[in-house]
Amino acid sequence: MNFQSKANKYVCPNDRQLSLRAKLRTGWSAARSEPPLTSAEREAIADVVKRAEKVEETEARRIGRLVARLEGMRRSAQGPTPRSCVLCGETSRLLAPLRVCFMCRNSACPKCIIETPPHKQYMCNLCAETREMWKKSGAWFFKSLPKYVLPERKTKYNDTEFSRSLQEAGNSSNEGKSDSEPSSPLSLHPPMFSRQPSSTDSRRSVSISQDAHCDGETENLTHGVSGLSLHRTDSFSQRSFGLKRTGSKGSAYSLRSTRKDPPKPTQVERPPVIPDAGFGTLEIRLAYENGTSSLAVCVLRARGLIGMDMTGLSDPFCRLEVLPTEGTYSNRLRTKTVHKTKNPEFNETLHFFGITESDLNTKSLEIVVFDDDRYGCDEMGSATVALRECSKSPAQLRLALAGPSGTEPSGPRLLLALCYNTKRRALAVTVCRAAELPPQDSNGYSDPFVKIHLDPDPYHKKHKTSIKWRNLNPIWNEGFFFETRLTELSRQNLTLTVWDKDYGKPNDFLGSLVLGSSSKGRRLKHWMDCIKFPDHRHEQWHSLTDTQHI
Amino acid sequence: MAKTYDYLFKLLLIGDSGVGKTSILFRFSEDAFNISFISTIGIDFKIRTIDLDGKKVKLQIWDTAGQERFRTITTAYYRGSMGIMLVYDVTNEKSFENIKNWIRNIEENASADVEKMILGNKCDLDSKRQVSKERGEQLAVEYQIKFIETSAKDSVNVENAFYTLARDIKAKMEKKQEASNPPGARGGTHQLKATDQQRKPTSWLSRCSIL
Repeated sequence: MNFQSKANKYVCPNDRQLSLRAKLRTGWSAARSEPPLTSAEREAIADVVKRAEKVEETEARRIGRLVARLEGMRRSAQGPTPRSCVLCGETSRLLAPLRVCFMCRNSACPKCIIETPPHKQYMCNLCAETREMWKKSGAWFFKSLPKYVLPERKTKYNDTEFSRSLQEAGNSSNEGKSDSEPSSPLSLHPPMFSRQPSSTDSRRSVSISQDAHCDGETENLTHGVSGLSLHRTDSFSQRSFGLKRTGSKGSAYSLRSTRKDPPKPTQVERPPVIPDAGFGTLEIRLAYENGTSSLAVCVLRARGLIGMDMTGLSDPFCRLEVLPTEGTYSNRLRTKTVHKTKNPEFNETLHFFGITESDLNTKSLEIVVFDDDRYGCDEMGSATVALRECSKSPAQLRLALAGPSGTEPSGPRLLLALCYNTKRRALAVTVCRAAELPPQDSNGYSDPFVKIHLDPDPYHKKHKTSIKWRNLNPIWNEGFFFETRLTELSRQNLTLTVWDKDYGKPNDFLGSLVLGSSSKGRRLKHWMDCIKFPDHRHEQWHSLTDTQHI
Repeated sequence: MAKTYDYLFKLLLIGDSGVGKTSILFRFSEDAFNISFISTIGIDFKIRTIDLDGKKVKLQIWDTAGQERFRTITTAYYRGSMGIMLVYDVTNEKSFENIKNWIRNIEENASADVEKMILGNKCDLDSKRQVSKERGEQLAVEYQIKFIETSAKDSVNVENAFYTLARDIKAKMEKKQEASNPPGARGGTHQLKATDQQRKPTSWLSRCSIL
């Protein structure tokens, strides 16, 4: 550009030149075009977002009901055998011959199979229901199951700390119970379906009656939950990880129950001590010392955190930061990690220095609870507290944690699709794309490729994608198959490592990702979805960690 | 218990500022019209449950601000939407020309298989018309998108547009489910074998990435 050649470059350019530059959309003159949002506008938008969250919540609960129903159906199914119905175990008779479902290739009796209209094909109720669920949940569009909350089975809710922790124990124990009792009302329903192809209406009525049934059941369960829960928790933790179709339920539940408790009738009568969004609470004590102008934050304990791993427990730690930060200097502190608990006792005092008294009025303390994991930390909840709280006399606070803010990961990340193919008996791994990879070459780019292996794998198969040259947001869309059994998947880990191809020197490591039943949070959910809903493609973004795990 | 529904479709209205996105949505959700112009702040949504072939479909329709300064907020909502309505004003040439930019915007931000539709709003103002119906149709053919002229004020084609879009999404959903099935196989063991053999040559690798 010859802007400068015409004028003295030490003189501010005139308006015309500035506007010309702004049109180029580069340089500092372009940035002022968008004024920041006013507080009223921000409020209005936040209002809409809040309203949307409510819709999202009912939707999550609805999908949870669909999932629970399918799960119940799966549990009550007899399992594939060559000479009997996959669902009810009925053997072939003259007037009721078994037919083969064209989806799963299992045979089913006429009561448990429907004829689908376009090609007059037979589909067993299980496949039909899975497909219906896929449609109803919107997973057909988003390519993986959206967030869902499984229906709550009990409504007991008490004030005291003790009964609250008891309730949490009940959470997992209830799951244990439903696992071991296949004859729960939920799973009794499927055989009640009418088998006509035009069963849409009857289907809806069934689902409604089931909802009613669920509610009735919760009423029954309100008593006796507490008694049951204590001894149940023990048996639950002793349970081996050898999850088959049903074993995954316990973990999945503890993951999904993260969102919010559905409104309970008893809650209306007697509100709990502090509003709890379902992510637990955190107790801290603030103390400000004038002499050293330091702020001491004592993180005491957290209660009722959400579970992140298979057993429904977490490894929480807190990250504290005083906001807004001044300049580039960030003062983040973290507590130690407390392992394998949902009710950690931190009892740790952290000191922030250089906090002036005027800061106390303007700044706030942000506390984010993370789940410690070797393969990247997942946010479990966060809370913000204004620093002026510490001037009040008892500076001990109980904060309700709000849920994780961002659902999609940012930073270096990988879009991965998993699909267990029951006919091939293989896990299809599709590496779709990656984004925001770190540059490793001197040209400011990387030449990324992905190595994939399943561990332990009797076939010792390793796969590699092609190399995408000079690209930080590569798109591969390459699929690989790992032959394995569905039941084996829960014992296996899928490891993906992203590398930068270099000639003449070792390849540079760009990031890694491990999925498996020992992983946590999003990664565990993805893995479990893949195991629970075979023959469907589950697509999800995962952030890459920069540590190398072998 | 809230009213149950079978499907939840998320729709999005985009287009230049002042073309009548909010009015269209207001007409569809409340069956009313407001003559005054209040610029939308960032985003908003309305909900209406409709009946499609015996299925209850809940439509969550996101209304976006056309103004440039809210662009970062509004584009965040592209990805989650299953259907997008591109609205222009038939009395405003510029808004029509900008449709191309909006389509590019969709291609950059929305999912690849989002259902699209072009609406030419304010078709009641025939005296001030600057964009003929033919030009709208031509643009729609060019991009292979459905096109309809609407009037939120006179309630022309508003219902029709939303029903069409919802029906298209539903059809796409059914089609997708069919496509995810293995082909052939009508039962009977000998037929089964034949289809198995047929299926082998088709590369399952490529099929997987399409699925």
